[in-house]
Amino acid sequence: MLEINDLHSRIGDAEILRGLSLSVNKGEVHAIMGPNGSGKSTLAQVVAGHEDYEVTGGSVTYKGVDLLELAPEQRAREGIFLGFQYPVEIPGVNNAYLLKAAVNAKRKHQGLEEIDAFEFLKLAREKMAMLGMDPKFLNRGVNEGFSGGEKKRNEILQMAMLEPGLAILDETDSGLDIDALKAVAAGVNALRSPDRAIILVTHYQRLLDYVEPDYVHVLSEGRIVRSGDKSLALELEERGYDWVREAAIA
Amino acid sequence: MKAAALNFDDLRSVVRQMPDNGLAAVRETALAHLGENGLPTLSDEDWKYTDLAPLVDISNRWLGAGGQQRSASTQREAIEAITATIDATWFVIANGQIGELAPGSNLDGIEVSRISDAPSPLALSRPLANLNAALLHDGLRLRITGKVERPIGILLMDSSDTEAVVTQTYIEIDVAPGGAADLIEYYASNGDGDLYANSVLTVNIGDDAIVNHARIQNRSLKHVQTSRTSISPGRNAVLRMASYDLGGGLIRNDIEIDLGNPGADVSFDGLYLAGDGQHIDNHTRVDHRVGPATSSQEYRGILNGECRCVWNGKAIVHKGADGTDAKQANHNLLMSEKAEIDAKPELEIYAEDVKCAHGTTVGQLDDTALFYLRSRGLDKQHALRVLTHAFAADLVRRTPVKAAMQGISDIVEARLAELIQADAIAALLA
Repeated sequence: MLEINDLHSRIGDAEILRGLSLSVNKGEVHAIMGPNGSGKSTLAQVVAGHEDYEVTGGSVTYKGVDLLELAPEQRAREGIFLGFQYPVEIPGVNNAYLLKAAVNAKRKHQGLEEIDAFEFLKLAREKMAMLGMDPKFLNRGVNEGFSGGEKKRNEILQMAMLEPGLAILDETDSGLDIDALKAVAAGVNALRSPDRAIILVTHYQRLLDYVEPDYVHVLSEGRIVRSGDKSLALELEERGYDWVREAAIA
Repeated sequence: MKAAALNFDDLRSVVRQMPDNGLAAVRETALAHLGENGLPTLSDEDWKYTDLAPLVDISNRWLGAGGQQRSASTQREAIEAITATIDATWFVIANGQIGELAPGSNLDGIEVSRISDAPSPLALSRPLANLNAALLHDGLRLRITGKVERPIGILLMDSSDTEAVVTQTYIEIDVAPGGAADLIEYYASNGDGDLYANSVLTVNIGDDAIVNHARIQNRSLKHVQTSRTSISPGRNAVLRMASYDLGGGLIRNDIEIDLGNPGADVSFDGLYLAGDGQHIDNHTRVDHRVGPATSSQEYRGILNGECRCVWNGKAIVHKGADGTDAKQANHNLLMSEKAEIDAKPELEIYAEDVKCAHGTTVGQLDDTALFYLRSRGLDKQHALRVLTHAFAADLVRRTPVKAAMQGISDIVEARLAELIQADAIAALLA
């Protein structure tokens, strides 16, 4: 589904990704772990199409389509979803407006009619109930004045509404208390399906107690230096990242 | 400073032909001040961005024609278009004429009178206030005696046709101690002929009183306006004000807030939208004379095409005004190479224990927000449009007079639709 081959990327003068390769199939959940500065978030941003990151080599294809040729909005419509580490506050843009515009942009791309207001509300309320979100959040500004946990739930709500083929969740677990973590994990698990892949970018193992990954990869200095199953995450938790780094050098 | 070539002989003769309704002495005093000091010019620090030549020209033509030319036929329609859409107790001032006053007994908590009923010395410290007083037919005086639920709307409807028109409007509002009122000041136009409208509003807010105040300026893009708003809040008084400059050709607003009593808490925000040929100048001044007191202002502008806007925010913290908290901010979106903003915060602090902050930004939209929206599938133009609307909508939503919000929002949306067209979006893409 997603094929990343020898990807190199820089922001300004700093080279962040240095030959990263990763293959993700339908139905799989991958966890990408690694120390701060290893390139985890960069990977997420590059796949989503952030223009500040320059791709200097390698390829990224999704369902056979060259993603690097597409604008961020085109990637979204193809089925890529990025859950932001720091969801942006946009006062003055109503949450419901954004959700609806996003859903309709995708539907239009798929040749479907726009969702009608009744259907939209019903769907949104259903997803919000699952995430333990008050429906009044629909009428607030996007992420405006939301707590850390509310922002992350809102990201998961957007994901649930958009039903992406590939969801990349960037540090979605950071800053969450246990209740919010469970709600977010439930949202992610609800979306697991044989047709969909999920990449969890995370610094800690904690989220993986609730969303069990099929594969765990460790990123260091812009490359995947180790891959394994979920036991790798537990080993990392125990032995720290220095162990992987040393192993990589050795 | 010398008068900017205002035809003073014509002015004097027009003033002296006005019926004496008790205001003749006031007019003479104003005329004398004006004769002495004249009108400001570009060499006055306060007026260096705004040339009064267009209004002097309109005034001279109007004075020469010897009187006021009005197209009365469409006035009623234009007035009703506004008073029917915003629920308020409306006072309509058409071309400076206050018309028949509603009988006081019908208005709970509002005493209505004319300035000529009890002429008081008018504020004559400023040249345009002198011009206003010299040519004033009569003014409106409202006294709010308690907590008034229904918003009070004052509509300044100025109409012009083929002849140059000059209008003067004068309003005094007193809010009794402990009183509360929602005020809507609405500046509107009927017709596109040359027109210069000059207005003076004075608001005295009693101790512990609360005033919410929305100022909506939606004039013809050909019309010239100067307005002066002077507000004095009492002890522990609260003022929430927001100004919306959504139309107008040449607009100059002066807002002065005099904080002479402790415990006052005032905020005054503003939004201005400008396109080709427009000039919108907002000068604000807040004097912190005693502490503690709080003032904050945030002005935002969206500029496209060949236009110029000015935001000059002055805050003076006088000696002894300890416990002052003064904030000011001005943010601008420039969508065209030809758009110009002069943004100038001025802080003068002579007290010891104060908190002051100011910030101005001139620029384009936030890249992170843009990427966020695009990553949700909105194309770039859609995302830019959404963010531009949001930039304005944020201030609309914060309007202190909720009854006016829909009306303001409708005008903002319509105006933005005109301003943000394909070419503007192209500029933002660069």
